Amino acid sequence: MIGQVVGHYRVTEKIGEGGMGVVYRAFDEVLHRDVALKVVKKDAGLDPAASQNLLNEARASSSLAHPNICTIYEVAETDGELYIVMELVEGKTLRALRGDVGVPPESVLRYGTQIAAALCRAHDRGIIHRDLKSANVVVTSSGLVKVLDFGLAKRAGSTILEGPTTTFASTQDVSTISGTLHYMAPEILRGEPADSRSDLWALGIVLYEAACGKLPFSGRTGFEISSGIMRELPATLGPPVPPSLWAVIQRCLAKEPAERYQRASEVQAALEAIQWGATISANPAPDSGAMQTTVVHGVKHARIKRGDFVLLVGTTKGAFILRSNAQRTRWEVGGPYFHGNVVYAMAYDNRAGRRRIWASTCNYWGTLLRFSDDFGKSWTNPQESPIRFPADAGVSLKNIWQITPGRADEPNVLYCGVEPAALFESRDAGETWSLVRGLFDHPHRPRWLPGNGGLALHTVVLDPSNHQRMYVAISSGGVYRTTDGGLTWTAQNRGIRAMFLPNKNPEFGQCVHKIAMHPSHPERLFLQNHWGLYRSDDYGENWKDIANGVPSDFGFAMIIHPRIPEHVYIIPVESDQFRCSCDGRLRVYRTRNGGGSWEPLMRGLPQKLAYETVLRDCLVADSFDPVGIYFGTRSGQLFGSRDEGRTWGKVLDGLPSITCVRTAYVDGSSGEAGPTLTRPVSTNSSPDKSPSSRSRSQSKKSRSSAKPPTKRR
Amino acid sequence: MPVTFHIPGALREFTAGRRTVELAMSPATLADALSALYALYPGVRDRVVTEQGQVREHINLFVGDENIRYTGGLATPLPPNSEISIVPAVSGG
Repeated sequence: MIGQVVGHYRVTEKIGEGGMGVVYRAFDEVLHRDVALKVVKKDAGLDPAASQNLLNEARASSSLAHPNICTIYEVAETDGELYIVMELVEGKTLRALRGDVGVPPESVLRYGTQIAAALCRAHDRGIIHRDLKSANVVVTSSGLVKVLDFGLAKRAGSTILEGPTTTFASTQDVSTISGTLHYMAPEILRGEPADSRSDLWALGIVLYEAACGKLPFSGRTGFEISSGIMRELPATLGPPVPPSLWAVIQRCLAKEPAERYQRASEVQAALEAIQWGATISANPAPDSGAMQTTVVHGVKHARIKRGDFVLLVGTTKGAFILRSNAQRTRWEVGGPYFHGNVVYAMAYDNRAGRRRIWASTCNYWGTLLRFSDDFGKSWTNPQESPIRFPADAGVSLKNIWQITPGRADEPNVLYCGVEPAALFESRDAGETWSLVRGLFDHPHRPRWLPGNGGLALHTVVLDPSNHQRMYVAISSGGVYRTTDGGLTWTAQNRGIRAMFLPNKNPEFGQCVHKIAMHPSHPERLFLQNHWGLYRSDDYGENWKDIANGVPSDFGFAMIIHPRIPEHVYIIPVESDQFRCSCDGRLRVYRTRNGGGSWEPLMRGLPQKLAYETVLRDCLVADSFDPVGIYFGTRSGQLFGSRDEGRTWGKVLDGLPSITCVRTAYVDGSSGEAGPTLTRPVSTNSSPDKSPSSRSRSQSKKSRSSAKPPTKRR
Repeated sequence: MPVTFHIPGALREFTAGRRTVELAMSPATLADALSALYALYPGVRDRVVTEQGQVREHINLFVGDENIRYTGGLATPLPPNSEISIVPAVSGG
């Protein structure tokens, strides 16, 4: 080839070779300048039609006048060979520059910004590069970046190059796509057409390798590489790569295009900002990804120590932490935490030596799951919400209704029930969460209807005897059960009425308000429905009505005595139209025979003009002996009984509307029960409600008028 | 030239306490400017938009005095020296 004249270009030397062809230095005998001349290999896999398309597209690409794009001067065909004449760029490829250790982060940012700018121009003109890689990026001695090979580019939205795209995507022969497979986005490997976001994936790969000298997804075979691209997460880049740059790379490398940056200009802006932030800002950006903690100032904290008994109270305006001891007569109030946030769910996790309070907070700025390991003095305030729906779910998190620590023997497992109705699971003690797809993808889901409070999965019940079996309750969807650890779910609503539907006994769609199970009887479930009280003795297969002698079978809250499985507590309200205590008399109802009959518990509770509502997570039991029962009202009153419900007293009033109440016993580091009293047992959907009982100390200060009766039965 | 963000009190925890963040750059659109802001202060992103990238229901973004809901959303073009305000809606009980 050397010495030959192609068109009016005299070939002077060979300067490179790639998958598509050989690149020569040539002299333009008309314009008297050096150019690069790329001769496309005859065996590059292009049939005549594809060659024509390449020609057309390269011509289109030649319109991309941009300082960071290697200009294409001419595309022509001679003797059946395609050749592309372009600007001769003298410099080193980024592939060569990055070596095995990468280039300094400042250079990554400088080069990355320019590559993004090049893509931005191309994408704005509807052109996709399709083959961006470090070998296609040349850096001149002055630091100017030129992106090469837009000749392979595809015009976005047109289908003329679909042929080669498919060939590339479907081939299993690595040799034909060598050097390119490493940069292919997951969607291309799936056989989907490339779009501009596929280029942003490739940009992420280029940034990654520039930063550390290694490709994020490598392997000995094409299969290994593809498999990594499709399924694995790239190894984390730590110092000297700043977290902000790592965050940008990660977002470029999101498996789903919808989760990436959507436009090259966004990547460009992000990289420029980091450059600017790194050079001008005195305060560098905080670490992304790090768990940010907010120390709470200006709020009274309850001074909690070992042996204390604690009530966690979520309200529509924040959370409160009430401290007492085994006597439960005086209460010191900490809070309010999360001023102005609705705290829909709280939980206490004492597994594996933790003393962790979980809370979900919701306000204008979104819904967050947070925890405190020091009883409220500081709370995590994650930069990125740990519970998030994937892009393909098409919905976003509205509320977290329930936080349920997993079984005692799986101390790193946690569940969250959320709105819109879905279940999230964590297997690393709450560090990362994933959507339980088996339930989310259930064919019934599109037909679930929102209840008054929204379409929420509000209750999670775990069978302690069988790790594969669990139940969730959805308003309005009904009860769903899995017996394979969450992979598949079945509706379990036989016998439960849906008074608000034309068909009163549907397979699903019931508005279940609460389900409860006693750990010693996992086959038996109790259920408070939107109209209806039920019991199942066969793992939820069949339900029978147990509303025998209650003033109303409408209600929300329901718990089981921690030690006596036949004792169930509910707080009926008058009707769905008038969700207040019946006849203005605030009464808890209890059955002592598994629903055979119910008795009112009211001594000490207001029996006149007490139009109160107690929501589904506002009734709890402790596990002292005798058991203490507590409930909070929408009017902000907190009542307690230390004698299993016989007599009641007001723990606190004047709170904002109460949305959840949980108990916590602050024991030793092991989480085991104390020597004098019984083991902690679950009373409801979550084990967090029933800490063990053991106490030592006496509160010094009372912050409330708490005077539950001191008499024991 | 620069773009200035006005950061509400609730988000200053994520902007190293800054009330304003000035970006010495000229992003073409609001989305680009936000992308730059998020790169510097990642905690801001999830507070302003949902995980699906939509501006949260009760959060308003203004370019100058114009609410971006009426000027093209995140694609709103940014004139030079734009001032962008992030403001929670006046609502609630």
